[in-house]
Amino acid sequence: MSVENYLELLPIILLGILFFAVSVITLYWSARRGQLRDFDAQSKVIFTDEEPEGEVSDKFPNKF
Amino acid sequence: MSALQNLAPIDSVPSSGMRAELSEIDASLRTSSLFFVTSAILWLLVGTAFGLIAAFKLHEPNFATASELTTFGRVRSAHLNAVALGFGNNVIFGVCLWVLARLCRAPIRHGGLLLIAGCFWNIGLTVGIAGIVKGDITSVEWLEIPKYATPLLAISYVLIGVWGIIAFRFRKGDHVYVSQWYILGALFWFPWLYIIAQIMIIWVPAQGVVQSVTNWWFGHNVLGLWFTPMALGVAYYLIPKVLGRPIYSYYLSVLGFWSLALFYNWAGVHHLIGGPIPVWLISAGTVASVMMVIPVIVVAINHHMTVVGLHREGWKSPTIRFVVFGAVNYTVVSLIGSAMALRNVNLVTHFTHFTVGHAHHGVYCFFAMVMFGGVYYMMPRMLNREWPSAILIRTHFWMSALGSLLMVCALQIGGWFQGLQMNDAVNYPDFLEIVKNTRPYMITRSVSGLMLLVGHIAFAVNFFWMLFVPGMARAGSGPTLFDSKEEGKL
Repeated sequence: MSVENYLELLPIILLGILFFAVSVITLYWSARRGQLRDFDAQSKVIFTDEEPEGEVSDKFPNKF
Repeated sequence: MSALQNLAPIDSVPSSGMRAELSEIDASLRTSSLFFVTSAILWLLVGTAFGLIAAFKLHEPNFATASELTTFGRVRSAHLNAVALGFGNNVIFGVCLWVLARLCRAPIRHGGLLLIAGCFWNIGLTVGIAGIVKGDITSVEWLEIPKYATPLLAISYVLIGVWGIIAFRFRKGDHVYVSQWYILGALFWFPWLYIIAQIMIIWVPAQGVVQSVTNWWFGHNVLGLWFTPMALGVAYYLIPKVLGRPIYSYYLSVLGFWSLALFYNWAGVHHLIGGPIPVWLISAGTVASVMMVIPVIVVAINHHMTVVGLHREGWKSPTIRFVVFGAVNYTVVSLIGSAMALRNVNLVTHFTHFTVGHAHHGVYCFFAMVMFGGVYYMMPRMLNREWPSAILIRTHFWMSALGSLLMVCALQIGGWFQGLQMNDAVNYPDFLEIVKNTRPYMITRSVSGLMLLVGHIAFAVNFFWMLFVPGMARAGSGPTLFDSKEEGKL
């Protein structure tokens, strides 16, 4: 295969397409599962009773 | 998208009763996370030592020349692999898997799998780095580890990836938080990148320029699809979490993730601007690199607007200090990176210290600082102990922050002049003169490296003190909130 041949790049191009396809399929899945709606509620899933919203949960220790 | 939205049920947030308590999840990951963070800190010290030897050699060429084991090429590559795969990957396995487990809200299954995989990872890496120093290094940047060590690394990584998928599979609650997207995306991308690059470059080498294209597809994606999403995942979890305020625009954060997922993969070719590869490929890489401005601005708006008005609280938190420093630098380093992908800028910066400065800016000022913040938040909750010394945390922060910024400034300013001089054959016909002109910048870089060493030692002392002298540092109150309550304090 000659160096000028674009086909040499084919494996990488196919991989790029595959990468892209997987991302698009996952995006479609997430839309179907309702991940792309009601953003306000979703941004609060990190808070729990143990570490609630509105409370700072980290400080420097009161030591030297 | 609206048609799809109508199809989907409204996502409800399950009540906390359904979920495992955070402290329970923290406890279930204790052994493996401790192992990973301990390994990360040891690799950080080893990597810093290698880095300092390499840095000294650039202004004192006669330094450490007695043995072939400490030649520049070997020491520099040992430094890269020790900090990237030793510190970086171990701290990712420690911190990001913990964030993932917390967001999945389910008790951890197969924690032992993680520990075994972690042992194999560190054994493989030790063999690999010893191989580099011994002289078995490959000639491929970012894949220097000799052939005999890589299968062990790949297998142990796959075990860790499988663990991540199991944790996700058995999650409680439907919603996938943006940090989970970032961390899962990275867990999926890294083995793909690593295994394909190993096959196409080391095991069944592609011929000609395809090899270099593969090399930089891999090299850049390790940063963009492994370190970057992991650190962003942690930042998106910790900034709102510590401040007790939801992220400013969750919509933008999701947009940022998807634009990274769809476009980043193309960007690596900008490392070959000016090289003998098809011009359209370079142009595509340049366009993708500039498109990265979208997720970067999105992250910048989100992180800045979440912190705004809470600066005082943030400054009192070691976690927020480190993470916000990292997040700000993510914006700056990414914008500089997009500019460096433009052909006329690249003409100056290519083959100079500017690129080295850029790499440290991204991996240290952004990635490592966010991960340090993650460790400062995670360890007290894992061990139910407080950090023993506030001074050591402050020392770590200031030495790392100022040291890394000094390093980036020295390398990028020196590198820019170096590039201008190399392009000016009329006034600078003598290459050695240009090399000598970089000397003051190289000395400054070594000083900054020493500052980082001081910071890392402070971090290590504080960590092992916390680990091995429990009586000194018992937490006063509940497992997750560390404040000024009286009991149990020194």
